[in-house]
Amino acid sequence: MKKIRAFLRSMTFGMLLLAAVIGFSFAGSMIPQQRPAMEYVSRYGATVGGLIIRLGLDDVFATPVFLLLMAALALNLTLCSVVRVRRLRGSGERLKERARAAQVIAAPGQAQRLDAFLRRRGFCAQAGEGVTVYSKCLFGAYGSFLTHLGLLAVLLAGALALYGGQITDQTVMPGQTLTLPDGTAIEVLSFRIEDETGRLDYASGLRMTDAQGQRSAEALVRVNEPMRFGRYKVYQQTYGTAGTMRLRNAATGGEDTVYLTEPAFLTADGQNGVFFAALYPGYIQDEDGSVTLITSTSGAYADPVYDLRVMAQGQTTPVLAFPGEELTLGDITYIPGEPVSYPGLRIKAIAPGMLGVLYASFVLLIAALTICFFMRPVCVAVRPEGYAIASPKPQLGLQLELEALIREEEQR
Amino acid sequence: MRDMVFFAALLLYFAAMIVQIVSAALGRQKGCRAACALLSAGLALHTVYSVWRGIAAGRLPLANQFEFASGFAWAIAVLGLILHARLRQTWVLTASIPAAFLVMSYAAFQPMEIRDIMPALRSTWFALHIGSAIFSYAALAIAGGLGAYYLVRLSRGEREDSTAMRQADYMGYRMICLGFLLLTVVILSGAIWAEQAWSKWWSWDPKETWALITWIIYAIYLHQRLRMNWQGRRMALLSLAALVCVLFTFAGVNLLLPGLHSYA
Ligand code: HEM
Repeated sequence: MKKIRAFLRSMTFGMLLLAAVIGFSFAGSMIPQQRPAMEYVSRYGATVGGLIIRLGLDDVFATPVFLLLMAALALNLTLCSVVRVRRLRGSGERLKERARAAQVIAAPGQAQRLDAFLRRRGFCAQAGEGVTVYSKCLFGAYGSFLTHLGLLAVLLAGALALYGGQITDQTVMPGQTLTLPDGTAIEVLSFRIEDETGRLDYASGLRMTDAQGQRSAEALVRVNEPMRFGRYKVYQQTYGTAGTMRLRNAATGGEDTVYLTEPAFLTADGQNGVFFAALYPGYIQDEDGSVTLITSTSGAYADPVYDLRVMAQGQTTPVLAFPGEELTLGDITYIPGEPVSYPGLRIKAIAPGMLGVLYASFVLLIAALTICFFMRPVCVAVRPEGYAIASPKPQLGLQLELEALIREEEQR
Repeated sequence: MRDMVFFAALLLYFAAMIVQIVSAALGRQKGCRAACALLSAGLALHTVYSVWRGIAAGRLPLANQFEFASGFAWAIAVLGLILHARLRQTWVLTASIPAAFLVMSYAAFQPMEIRDIMPALRSTWFALHIGSAIFSYAALAIAGGLGAYYLVRLSRGEREDSTAMRQADYMGYRMICLGFLLLTVVILSGAIWAEQAWSKWWSWDPKETWALITWIIYAIYLHQRLRMNWQGRRMALLSLAALVCVLFTFAGVNLLLPGLHSYA
């Protein structure tokens, strides 16, 4: 039992776990993740594709084995930190003791020179009988403990932030309001793809209202600039461009406008009507009058063209229509309008303060690493006959500097 | 004209590399000083080029593969010169000049035209994330260069306990400490940025995953050195193997594994 406990908190076990994380990460980066099963079969063949799916390698970071691995890493870090934090108390005094007891490098009569040098370097001196101990950055002994604590905090807060939040993706037309299950409403006041200068800038004008009627100010949500409201964070995730079609019924005098985001058959009697196939962002007209349609753009639709099929009396006629053109079939007039761009919003619900805790763990980890690497504890015991260095970290730089100092004096 | 300045800097790095390697092989101090001067001149031109490009683009010139590679080479030259000024050891130049030249040559093969950046890259986190990345990669590249230098000298019969070898080994370790710290900044600032842009601080995107793999490999290096007292040849080999991971994260992922970072 003792042996198992010792292994569970050992660095060997920690390094094995880290090697396993590398293995999983390698697999997860080489095999495309979270794709439909058929894609694996067509890409790798039935045998390998089937194996990938059966082993869960198509979503490797969600497999129980991987999650268990991360939990084991957290356990290992906790156990090894608990053991080491006890040893840290009094580590400064022990380091001084180590320096006093260490074998001396001969430098007779150099104590004063060494004193001046070490004080210049920010060492504190503690004089004793026949020996002065100079110490620096003793607090740095806590560096690796704090590093592991930071890492543990990142793992725990990170897992909570990743799995504790709830994410929903929604497309909303400008002018429409999306109501969330708890009654919070998101009003899309505007959406644009380009800013005033014509530069790509996907931005939604939003206003949110909670179930109690409390309203947010109007906010412009862009990529990198989400909106916060209560426990929600709303992101500019994607965008789309919808066609619009005004329908006028001469018999009833009624009028309606529909948004066209996918192929649709617009009909009053189920047989005659207009089938909307696609909306193109623009076209190029050649000298001979022929038209080539532009199929994709990342910006606004400059010269939109509607690809329609007019279906009347069992006949289908393909038609390219421009905004404003009228097509009349019986009592119904179809008028394609200017396209409307709309945002795809991502709505994330997360406990308030969760991200703050995560970011605090990031700061802790970075501060701890800085202490670890740049505040390395070191003691130098100086005696009339020479000096000795003690440190838990490599100190070749200081060692060579002291050697050079002594050599310089000897050469003089 | 602007691109001519870039190629002039590349040429100076090349000249510095040849002069340094020949002088180091022949043990000529004067030649090493000339290499240092050539590297400094190359760096000066490189800096002029980067500032010029930044002004023309109206942003930090680190937004695509060419600009990042150029920034990476620039950071190697800066760190190499700082290290050389502090240590006054010619082997620092032997390790860093070829690294700067090779990365700069890689940049020269990338499309150089200035393009407007995607909205996803317009963020206050951009400067910290990419700025720390070029210096992190530079420190790790110099550590790899020192590892290569160490192995070459060893194969030529140099003793592992000579001062120069111990110092090269130690500087490799210190460069890895710096590179590891900065790589942590890269990953964590990227996580905050990802949370703001894509809503999740971690998505297991190939670039993120490979940065993590690289980070863990360096963590293993640090542990082996500190607790297992690994030094010298083993550490030199590990620093070279880890550098391969850095280079894959930097270039290989973009070429082979498309993901959220594809615009880089
Ligand atoms: C990715 C995960 C880890 C990171 C980033 C990390 C980071 C570090 C760093 C930066 C140091 C100081 C190294 C130096 O100053 O040169 C260190 C030391 C150490 N680490 Fe880790 N560590 C990790 C995981 C672990 C695990 C799982 C264990 C298992 C017990 C462990 C045990 C130790 C020990 C025993 C030391 C030496 C502490 C000392 O002498 O003060 N580490 N670690």
